[in-house]
Amino acid sequence: MNRNPYQPINGEIVEIIDESPTIKSFVVVPEEPFIFETGQFVELTLPGEGEAPFTPSSSPTETEKMEITIMKAGRVTGLLHACNNGQKVGIRGPYGNGYPVDDFVGKEVYIVGGGVGLAPIRSLFLTLVERIKDFKSVVCRFGAKTPEDFIYKKTLFGPWQKIAGVDIRLTVDEAKGDWKDNVGVVTTILEPKDVKIKDAVAVVCGPPIMMKFVTLKLLDFGFAAEKIYLSMEKNMSCGIGKCGHCMIGKYYVCKDGPVFTYEQVKGYRDIWA
Amino acid sequence: MKAGFVKQLKPLLDTVAEQMELYVPKKTGEYYIYTKYDPSAEEPVEFNNIRPCATAKEFLFPVCELAAIFPEPSEPEETKPFAVFGLKDCDLRSIEILDKVFAEEEFLDPLYVSRRRNMFTISSDCFEPTENCFCNLCGGEPFAQSGFDLNVAEISDGFIIEAGSQKGQDFIDKYSENFSDVTDAMLAQRDENRAATQKKLEEINAKYQLDMPLKEIVESGEDSDVFDEDAKDCVECQGCTRICPTCHCFYLYDTKQKDYFAKMKMWDSCLRQSYAEVAGGQNPRKITGDRIKHRLTHKFVYFLERYGLTMCVGCGRCIETCAGGIDMREALKKLNEELKGKDRKKAKVSK
Repeated sequence: MNRNPYQPINGEIVEIIDESPTIKSFVVVPEEPFIFETGQFVELTLPGEGEAPFTPSSSPTETEKMEITIMKAGRVTGLLHACNNGQKVGIRGPYGNGYPVDDFVGKEVYIVGGGVGLAPIRSLFLTLVERIKDFKSVVCRFGAKTPEDFIYKKTLFGPWQKIAGVDIRLTVDEAKGDWKDNVGVVTTILEPKDVKIKDAVAVVCGPPIMMKFVTLKLLDFGFAAEKIYLSMEKNMSCGIGKCGHCMIGKYYVCKDGPVFTYEQVKGYRDIWA
Repeated sequence: MKAGFVKQLKPLLDTVAEQMELYVPKKTGEYYIYTKYDPSAEEPVEFNNIRPCATAKEFLFPVCELAAIFPEPSEPEETKPFAVFGLKDCDLRSIEILDKVFAEEEFLDPLYVSRRRNMFTISSDCFEPTENCFCNLCGGEPFAQSGFDLNVAEISDGFIIEAGSQKGQDFIDKYSENFSDVTDAMLAQRDENRAATQKKLEEINAKYQLDMPLKEIVESGEDSDVFDEDAKDCVECQGCTRICPTCHCFYLYDTKQKDYFAKMKMWDSCLRQSYAEVAGGQNPRKITGDRIKHRLTHKFVYFLERYGLTMCVGCGRCIETCAGGIDMREALKKLNEELKGKDRKKAKVSK
């Protein structure tokens, strides 16, 4: 008998980190080692309440525990935010196609992220940094509403910026406190000279409206549509390409994505909604 | 594959019912629905001249079922063998479509697979297509083409029973003493009946004849207001998706029981307003017309691209059930005409 794809693996929340006023990271220890590729997603079940799809924000090399960063946005995420350490959870997955990291080898990786979109990006970032010499450079352009809305502040504002081969610039929509850096949406810090476009791939993750305008800007810079990788987040329910909720055109985001090239999805007008 | 002739249906069905649970169509009001076969019942078994209003998917993919329990998992119980009599070609093709999704993919649905493996399909020829039947526009026939274990074709003084699978062949072999030989005259009569039903279907759908492949027709809907026009009549009852034998949207939800947690799998409908909405509130198909368009494009374009089959069998149940009186054929025909108009324009321009 094949494994029942609807059966979750049991797990437990062992640590909860406050990232921003609306975002928390949950460290989950699964009952058995959990193997995934960066960019793939899981269905996290709060037993008896419901489940929702999330892309782990930790590195895939860590299989004993997994970090999942969650913004309070709906019913299940609201209930998760009210959880404490020791809460039992269920995990299904991993599902879909992640980032094709091996295809990035020898290239400049241009990562543009916004808000909670930094969650899948963190997993990718850690994966790239583990083998940083394989890539020409990792260039990150991240945005958030206000400085306190940035997640992973402890590492983002310090240690990550010091890694050799990594170039990070940040922006906020609205400056608060002692913010000295750029103010404006993330597209205001994208410049054609950030990377050598012919030699680069772009990765975009964030709110749909941000993904849309970043993609348009990247195309403007001369990026080929097949070199722009988008993390599409839709209403994935079953995770296995059957239930239909996450369809964009002929694609099941859960099975054919969640990472797509713009080339794959550009023909469908509902991708940014 | 073998075929045999029987004068009466009842002994055959009795034999099947001795071995497994058997469901047969029963006329209830205007429509046929499936009921459990009762060998002791006095009224004769009905040979349904038309597809039941209930679908085959209900046997394989019930409205709501237990998908998993945890934290202590339990193996799903293997389904007991069961048989369904009275399936039509449209029903068989709908099973073929559902198989692609649930039984032939990378991820198998164990609940579906177990039921499917234990299902014995006894199809039968159509004689009285309804005004809503349009299988002939979707590559169907009013008689089983494939995918059946046994098929029953009624002729004037009895029934031709044909095997369509090893399971069906084994059945005929095992009870060979009950069958007499099928003569050429019997087959000729069966084929005449079939041709007569085909003709009826052609007459019913004469005004909906299409000149282009369904895929092209529906793809052209992207630039048309046809679906927004349909949306004006749609009351969003989702009846079409529930009664459709190929629609298979579902959602998973969690419940708390006394000693365990359960994950349930329940039918859903892509016509539902919040169907594709995400927690942040974004919704790729906010308006009804877009949802109707997505449903039909899935059926005639996306599914075909993915699995090589059109996800509509032309059974007409959606037309029969629609509270707003929407007839899919009208939209298809209108798109077909619009497309022809475009082609003519193009031809003129190129001249």
